[in-house]
Amino acid sequence: MEKGKANIDYNNAVIRIHGLEKAFDDYEVLRGIDLELFQGENLVVLGRSGTGKSVLIKIISGLLSPDKGKVEVLGEDISKLNDRELQALRIRIGFSFQNSALYDSMTVRKNLEFPLVRNRKGITRKEIDTNVESVLEAVGLSQTINQMPSELSGGQRKRIGIARTLILNPEIMLYDEPTAGLDPITCIEINDLINEVQQRYNTSSIIITHDLTCAKSTGDRIAMLLEGQFQREGTFDQVFDTNDSRVKPFFDYNFIK
Amino acid sequence: MDTTDSTPIPEAPVRRKRGSKLKKSINDFFFSMYQINQFILKFFREAFVPPYEFKEIVRQCYEVGVRSFTLISLTGFIVGLIFTKQSRPSLLQFGATSWLPSLVSIAIMRALAPLVTALIAAGKVGSSIGAELGSMRVTEQIDAMEVSGTNPFKFLVTTRVLATTLTIPILATYTGFIALFGGYLNVAVNEGTSWRTFIEQVFEPLTFVDFTASLIKSIVFGFTIGIVGCYQGYNSNKGTEGVGKAANGAVVTAMFLVFIEEIVIVQISSWFR
Amino acid sequence: MDAKENRRAIIVGLFLALGLAIFIIGVFTLGGQSKSFAKSIHISAVFDDVAGLKPGNNVWFSGVKVGTIKEIRFVGTSEVRVRMSIDENSQQYIHRNAGVHIGSDGLIGNKIIVIDGGSPGAPIVQDGDQLQAAKLLSTDDMMKTLQQNNENLLSITSDFKLLSHKILQGKGTVGTLMADSTMAVQLKASMRNLQIATASAALMAKQLNTFSNTMNTKGGLADKLFTDTTTFNRLKAAANQFQAAATNANAITENLKTTTDKLNSKDNAVGVLLNDPKSAEQVRSSIANLQQATIKLNDDLEAAQHNFLLKGFFKDRAKAKADSIKKAQGK
Ligand SMILES: Nc1ncnc2c1ncn2[C@@H]1O[C@H](COP(=O)(O)OP(=O)(O)OP(=O)(O)O)[C@@H](O)[C@H]1O
Ligand SMILES: [Mg+2]
Repeated sequence: MEKGKANIDYNNAVIRIHGLEKAFDDYEVLRGIDLELFQGENLVVLGRSGTGKSVLIKIISGLLSPDKGKVEVLGEDISKLNDRELQALRIRIGFSFQNSALYDSMTVRKNLEFPLVRNRKGITRKEIDTNVESVLEAVGLSQTINQMPSELSGGQRKRIGIARTLILNPEIMLYDEPTAGLDPITCIEINDLINEVQQRYNTSSIIITHDLTCAKSTGDRIAMLLEGQFQREGTFDQVFDTNDSRVKPFFDYNFIK
Repeated sequence: MDTTDSTPIPEAPVRRKRGSKLKKSINDFFFSMYQINQFILKFFREAFVPPYEFKEIVRQCYEVGVRSFTLISLTGFIVGLIFTKQSRPSLLQFGATSWLPSLVSIAIMRALAPLVTALIAAGKVGSSIGAELGSMRVTEQIDAMEVSGTNPFKFLVTTRVLATTLTIPILATYTGFIALFGGYLNVAVNEGTSWRTFIEQVFEPLTFVDFTASLIKSIVFGFTIGIVGCYQGYNSNKGTEGVGKAANGAVVTAMFLVFIEEIVIVQISSWFR
Repeated sequence: MDAKENRRAIIVGLFLALGLAIFIIGVFTLGGQSKSFAKSIHISAVFDDVAGLKPGNNVWFSGVKVGTIKEIRFVGTSEVRVRMSIDENSQQYIHRNAGVHIGSDGLIGNKIIVIDGGSPGAPIVQDGDQLQAAKLLSTDDMMKTLQQNNENLLSITSDFKLLSHKILQGKGTVGTLMADSTMAVQLKASMRNLQIATASAALMAKQLNTFSNTMNTKGGLADKLFTDTTTFNRLKAAANQFQAAATNANAITENLKTTTDKLNSKDNAVGVLLNDPKSAEQVRSSIANLQQATIKLNDDLEAAQHNFLLKGFFKDRAKAKADSIKKAQGK
């Protein structure tokens, strides 16, 4: 499955990060991140476990606050927003969590409705239903509408999670390890879904992954997080054209050489 | 899934430790006091500004109040019945069994109804709030809520705390009423007292101070159970272990606080007697 | 809002409404008793001894709770001033010349202040008035009297036992009896003792009666309590028996007195008496009667001891006494 033609606007960065630092207690996770995400682009972030990939996208969505540096999302400086403005910005960003984070106490339908009902005041029942059905169809899980999250498989949960973020038509998608723990066929389906979302809704995305197949098939650009900074950046081939012992094992492990 | 562990590459950064253990635990203590304080303040900031989560409050009232009703009324009934039964012999020694209604009434209305309700609710409601929010925290459902434009504190915490604060006094009222009924059954079987006479004697020794103190008590208990359960769950650590800790912590802390509050309020109310 | 949510909302509504209703009914029932929120006036009284009265104890008037003790404080050398608040609604029934005394509202010994007496002619009490305290009639005092009586009677009984024994042995004639002058002296002393004891028993009976009447006043907790058990009746019966025994003893004493008076009237009179078999018979039966009456009195005292109310007081001393009483009756 080759990646389709992406429509990227390199003059328009939807996310601009400069000199971002973040520490927990004494542990400096991010030590000077510089990053731009362009309109319509799929950016894949690679990195070892615990290097702060999830922390990075949580800062982007305002779940964590940076210690230092500037984070600009859709033209707004995250640290300068009040609660209401932050909330308004957040619904323009879709966040697909590492472990789906479906609401256990609600059915799939309720899960999908939740962002709609809470953010689109005065929306009619019919509009809600159409929206829910259309995103469910987009992720190919129409039959699960009345099931509880606990009744779904990991891959299904992931797709419902993506569907729930898509329902608000976000301009930016943040995928945290969308394919982790899934079988190869489901991985391929998810990769296709990510690409389809990019083309269908014209979203810009950050995709965090350890899975180089996923990186290769979805990423327009790859950035590698090493020691708290993006030290290697470029296309897939550019990034892995190296003998750096911090980078090469990723490639060797994924494409057994 | 960690796919990189088996390959020999430079070490990932390791957390450094600094300072003595004691210093750390003292710091932790004051920090958690501060956090609890902030949590309570945040509740008051969020709970009384629109938009109000009426629907969710109703749902929580259902979960907290209606769902606990059977358990609590059964307990109340048994407490009333047993308490009367057990008090009978000592009063019988003085030939004073006609004092039973007054005795039972004072015990139930002043102490047992709010306390029993609070303890049962701490066990049932407090732990389930702790566990529910804990698992929502651990599985990032709370984060998910936040990034999808819903204030999770308002949606999850204020609704639950309001629900417990509202329904636990109501439950305590039911407990008191049903416990009295349990006491009445025992008295009726042994003395053949009528319900009317019984109720008259029940209200004989009671004053408004008793009523007010019990009402305030159960409101405070309700608030405590709600806020402790939410605090434990909302701030639980990552990992499934965190869920268990949150549930356990919610029960233990809430019960402990309930007893402390009981002592304090009884003391205060005795100044008004 | 779907159907499930609606149903839930209705259930929650019912749940809250019913709970609230129960609470409000409770508040109104309580309010109906008009114990609190009612205005009150403050009056006071000075006592020598308040017998453990505490702030918060009740104040009764005609057996109805009309207020509570607010404050107890020493005044002068050892007197105690008790300040009490009286419900404004009851104020109109209490007159300035009413007396107060300390009583007890039941078995557990809750002390109360009882307001009684007062004539309708006198003005109604006002805030700040002081009522006259009556001498304390406490259970403790009664117990003391009872105990004393008991001891007295015991000695009298043994005296009489000795006397009557001698009469029986002394060939049945008063002559023999009266010939012994020490015997006459003894008889006289015994009679005096009995007289005192009888008077004391009569007083005792009166006190017991008042005591039980206080308890019997309508509406009080004690009333309910006593209505509930037979204790009150027993107490009442005991009082009646005391009264009867006392009257009886009194009559006998009178009787004996005339006889001894005759004995005492000098010279020949004694000779006449001695030779008069009728008189001798009279003395003999009188003494027998007296013995009966004393035993009866003793019985009553014993009954009183078994009365739950007096139990605590006698508990320690009961055993020795009971034994000797039993022996006394054994013959
Ligand atoms: N809320 C937090 N409090 C304290 N430490 C945190 C917190 N969140 C993350 N960390 C720490 O920051 C480091 C980076 O965590 P992060 O979740 O970003 O790793 P990651 O790169 O996403 O790893 P993985 O690939 O396993 O998901 C970890 O060592 C983690 O312990
Ligand atoms: Mg992660």
